[in-house]
Amino acid sequence: MKRKGKKFQKKGSNSLNKLSLFQKAEGRFGRSCPFSLKNAPVIDYKNISLLKKYISENDKILSSKITSVSNGKQKKLTKEIKKAKILGLI
Amino acid sequence: MSFYEDTLIAKQDLQKSELQKIKDKYSEIIENNSGKVIKIEEWGLLNLARKIKKYKKAFYIHYKFEGNKETLNEINKKIKIDSSIIRHLVVKYKNLDMKNEYFKKEK
Repeated sequence: MKRKGKKFQKKGSNSLNKLSLFQKAEGRFGRSCPFSLKNAPVIDYKNISLLKKYISENDKILSSKITSVSNGKQKKLTKEIKKAKILGLI
Repeated sequence: MSFYEDTLIAKQDLQKSELQKIKDKYSEIIENNSGKVIKIEEWGLLNLARKIKKYKKAFYIHYKFEGNKETLNEINKKIKIDSSIIRHLVVKYKNLDMKNEYFKKEK
Protein backbone atom coordinates (compact mmCIF):
# COMPACT_ATOMS: atom_id res chain seq x y z
CA MET A 1 0.00 0.00 0.00
CA LYS A 2 2.79 2.38 0.91
CA ARG A 3 4.56 1.94 -2.41
CA LYS A 4 1.41 2.72 -4.35
CA GLY A 5 0.95 5.96 -2.44
CA LYS A 6 4.47 7.11 -3.22
CA LYS A 7 4.16 6.40 -6.92
CA PHE A 8 0.94 8.36 -7.17
CA GLN A 9 2.50 11.43 -5.55
CA LYS A 10 5.43 11.45 -7.94
CA LYS A 11 3.18 11.38 -10.99
CA GLY A 12 1.15 14.29 -9.70
CA SER A 13 4.15 16.51 -9.11
CA ASN A 14 5.64 15.71 -12.53
CA SER A 15 2.56 16.63 -14.49
CA LEU A 16 2.38 19.97 -12.67
CA ASN A 17 6.01 20.84 -13.31
CA LYS A 18 5.96 20.71 -17.08
CA LEU A 19 2.74 21.97 -18.60
CA SER A 20 2.82 21.50 -22.34
CA LEU A 21 0.84 20.15 -25.25
CA PHE A 22 2.75 16.89 -25.16
CA GLN A 23 2.18 15.87 -21.57
CA LYS A 24 0.38 12.69 -20.63
CA ALA A 25 -3.40 12.76 -20.57
CA GLU A 26 -3.51 11.95 -16.83
CA GLY A 27 -2.32 15.34 -15.80
CA ARG A 28 -4.30 17.22 -18.37
CA PHE A 29 -7.93 16.37 -17.78
CA GLY A 30 -10.09 16.38 -14.73
CA ARG A 31 -7.94 18.72 -12.70
CA SER A 32 -9.65 21.65 -11.00
CA CYS A 33 -8.56 25.26 -11.52
CA PRO A 34 -5.40 26.03 -9.47
CA PHE A 35 -6.55 29.61 -8.79
CA SER A 36 -10.04 28.74 -7.47
CA LEU A 37 -8.77 26.89 -4.40
CA LYS A 38 -8.47 28.25 -0.89
CA ASN A 39 -5.29 30.26 -0.26
CA ALA A 40 -4.69 30.44 -4.00
CA PRO A 41 -1.74 32.60 -5.17
CA VAL A 42 -2.51 36.18 -6.28
CA ILE A 43 -2.30 36.73 -10.05
CA ASP A 44 -0.14 39.83 -10.41
CA TYR A 45 2.29 41.16 -13.01
CA LYS A 46 5.03 41.39 -10.39
CA ASN A 47 4.77 37.70 -9.45
CA ILE A 48 6.97 36.46 -12.27
CA SER A 49 7.73 33.00 -10.93
CA LEU A 50 3.99 32.24 -11.02
CA LEU A 51 3.40 33.69 -14.50
CA LYS A 52 6.33 31.76 -15.99
CA LYS A 53 4.49 28.49 -15.31
CA TYR A 54 1.77 29.50 -17.75
CA ILE A 55 4.07 30.44 -20.63
CA SER A 56 5.54 28.14 -23.27
CA GLU A 57 9.23 28.02 -24.21
CA ASN A 58 8.66 30.58 -26.95
CA ASP A 59 6.96 33.03 -24.56
CA LYS A 60 3.46 32.19 -25.75
CA ILE A 61 0.56 32.00 -23.33
CA LEU A 62 -0.60 28.41 -22.73
CA SER A 63 -4.27 27.74 -23.40
CA SER A 64 -6.62 26.89 -20.56
CA LYS A 65 -7.22 23.48 -22.15
CA ILE A 66 -3.72 22.52 -21.13
CA THR A 67 -3.49 24.26 -17.77
CA SER A 68 -7.15 23.77 -16.71
CA VAL A 69 -7.47 27.35 -15.46
CA SER A 70 -11.06 28.60 -15.26
CA ASN A 71 -12.43 31.06 -17.81
CA GLY A 72 -12.42 34.18 -15.66
CA LYS A 73 -9.00 33.49 -14.19
CA GLN A 74 -7.55 32.83 -17.65
CA LYS A 75 -8.65 36.29 -18.81
CA LYS A 76 -6.97 37.84 -15.77
CA LEU A 77 -3.81 35.78 -16.36
CA THR A 78 -3.44 36.95 -19.98
CA LYS A 79 -3.83 40.59 -18.93
CA GLU A 80 -1.17 40.30 -16.23
CA ILE A 81 1.23 38.42 -18.53
CA LYS A 82 0.91 41.16 -21.15
CA LYS A 83 1.67 43.82 -18.52
CA ALA A 84 4.81 41.94 -17.50
CA LYS A 85 5.85 41.71 -21.16
CA ILE A 86 5.54 45.50 -21.56
CA LEU A 87 7.94 45.98 -18.65
CA GLY A 88 10.39 43.46 -20.07
CA LEU A 89 10.15 41.15 -17.09
CA ILE A 90 9.19 38.04 -19.09
CA MET B 1 -9.02 59.73 -5.48
CA SER B 2 -7.88 56.23 -6.30
CA PHE B 3 -4.80 54.09 -5.92
CA TYR B 4 -2.15 53.60 -8.58
CA GLU B 5 1.10 51.74 -9.12
CA ASP B 6 3.73 53.16 -11.45
CA THR B 7 6.85 51.29 -12.51
CA LEU B 8 9.65 53.28 -14.17
CA ILE B 9 12.44 51.66 -16.19
CA ALA B 10 15.58 53.78 -16.19
CA LYS B 11 18.71 53.49 -18.32
CA GLN B 12 21.44 51.08 -17.40
CA ASP B 13 24.35 53.54 -17.48
CA LEU B 14 23.23 55.86 -14.69
CA GLN B 15 25.13 56.61 -11.50
CA LYS B 16 23.72 56.25 -8.01
CA SER B 17 23.34 60.00 -7.50
CA GLU B 18 21.41 60.34 -10.76
CA LEU B 19 19.08 57.51 -9.79
CA GLN B 20 18.44 59.22 -6.46
CA LYS B 21 17.62 62.43 -8.33
CA ILE B 22 15.08 60.64 -10.54
CA LYS B 23 13.51 59.03 -7.49
CA ASP B 24 13.14 62.37 -5.69
CA LYS B 25 11.94 64.15 -8.83
CA TYR B 26 8.94 61.91 -9.43
CA SER B 27 7.94 61.66 -5.78
CA GLU B 28 7.95 65.49 -5.74
CA ILE B 29 5.82 65.63 -8.90
CA ILE B 30 3.26 63.33 -7.31
CA GLU B 31 3.17 65.31 -4.07
CA ASN B 32 2.83 68.67 -5.84
CA ASN B 33 -0.12 67.58 -7.98
CA SER B 34 -2.68 66.63 -5.34
CA GLY B 35 -1.25 63.16 -4.87
CA LYS B 36 0.27 61.22 -2.01
CA VAL B 37 3.18 58.77 -2.17
CA ILE B 38 2.53 55.68 -0.07
CA LYS B 39 5.57 53.56 -0.81
CA ILE B 40 8.65 53.49 -3.03
CA GLU B 41 10.40 50.24 -3.93
CA GLU B 42 13.73 49.90 -5.69
CA TRP B 43 14.09 46.65 -7.56
CA GLY B 44 17.66 47.38 -8.62
CA LEU B 45 19.44 46.38 -11.81
CA LEU B 46 17.57 43.60 -13.62
CA ASN B 47 18.08 41.79 -16.90
CA LEU B 48 15.52 42.66 -19.56
CA ALA B 49 13.86 39.71 -21.27
CA ARG B 50 14.49 41.31 -24.67
CA LYS B 51 16.30 44.44 -25.79
CA ILE B 52 14.45 47.73 -25.24
CA LYS B 53 15.98 50.67 -27.09
CA LYS B 54 19.30 48.80 -27.37
CA TYR B 55 19.59 48.23 -23.61
CA LYS B 56 20.02 44.78 -22.10
CA LYS B 57 19.72 45.76 -18.44
CA ALA B 58 17.78 48.45 -16.63
CA PHE B 59 17.02 49.95 -13.23
CA TYR B 60 13.48 49.51 -11.92
CA ILE B 61 11.75 51.99 -9.60
CA HIS B 62 8.26 51.20 -8.31
CA TYR B 63 5.84 53.74 -6.83
CA LYS B 64 2.62 53.10 -4.94
CA PHE B 65 0.57 56.29 -4.67
CA GLU B 66 -2.84 57.87 -4.31
CA GLY B 67 -3.94 60.47 -6.85
CA ASN B 68 -6.33 61.60 -9.55
CA LYS B 69 -6.38 62.54 -13.21
CA GLU B 70 -4.14 65.60 -12.81
CA THR B 71 -1.31 63.64 -11.21
CA LEU B 72 -1.38 61.06 -13.98
CA ASN B 73 -1.36 63.73 -16.71
CA GLU B 74 1.59 65.48 -15.10
CA ILE B 75 3.58 62.26 -14.73
CA ASN B 76 2.95 61.23 -18.33
CA LYS B 77 4.04 64.67 -19.58
CA LYS B 78 7.27 64.63 -17.58
CA ILE B 79 8.16 61.07 -18.57
CA LYS B 80 7.73 61.82 -22.27
CA ILE B 81 10.40 64.50 -22.05
CA ASP B 82 12.73 62.56 -19.76
CA SER B 83 15.41 60.83 -21.83
CA SER B 84 16.79 58.66 -19.02
CA ILE B 85 13.54 56.69 -18.68
CA ILE B 86 13.00 54.02 -21.31
CA ARG B 87 9.51 52.83 -20.46
CA HIS B 88 6.84 52.94 -17.74
CA LEU B 89 3.55 51.36 -16.78
CA VAL B 90 0.69 52.71 -14.66
CA VAL B 91 -1.87 50.33 -13.16
CA LYS B 92 -5.03 51.33 -11.30
CA TYR B 93 -6.12 49.46 -8.18
CA LYS B 94 -9.08 49.57 -5.85
CA ASN B 95 -6.98 48.35 -2.94
CA LEU B 96 -3.19 48.20 -2.81
CA ASP B 97 -1.65 45.08 -1.33
CA MET B 98 1.31 46.09 0.78
CA LYS B 99 2.25 42.63 2.04
CA ASN B 100 3.97 41.02 -0.91
CA GLU B 101 7.30 42.29 -2.19
CA TYR B 102 8.28 40.12 -5.12
CA PHE B 103 11.63 41.80 -5.81
CA LYS B 104 13.24 41.83 -2.38
CA LYS B 105 16.96 41.27 -2.53
CA GLU B 106 17.92 37.87 -1.18
CA LYS B 107 21.44 38.10 0.21
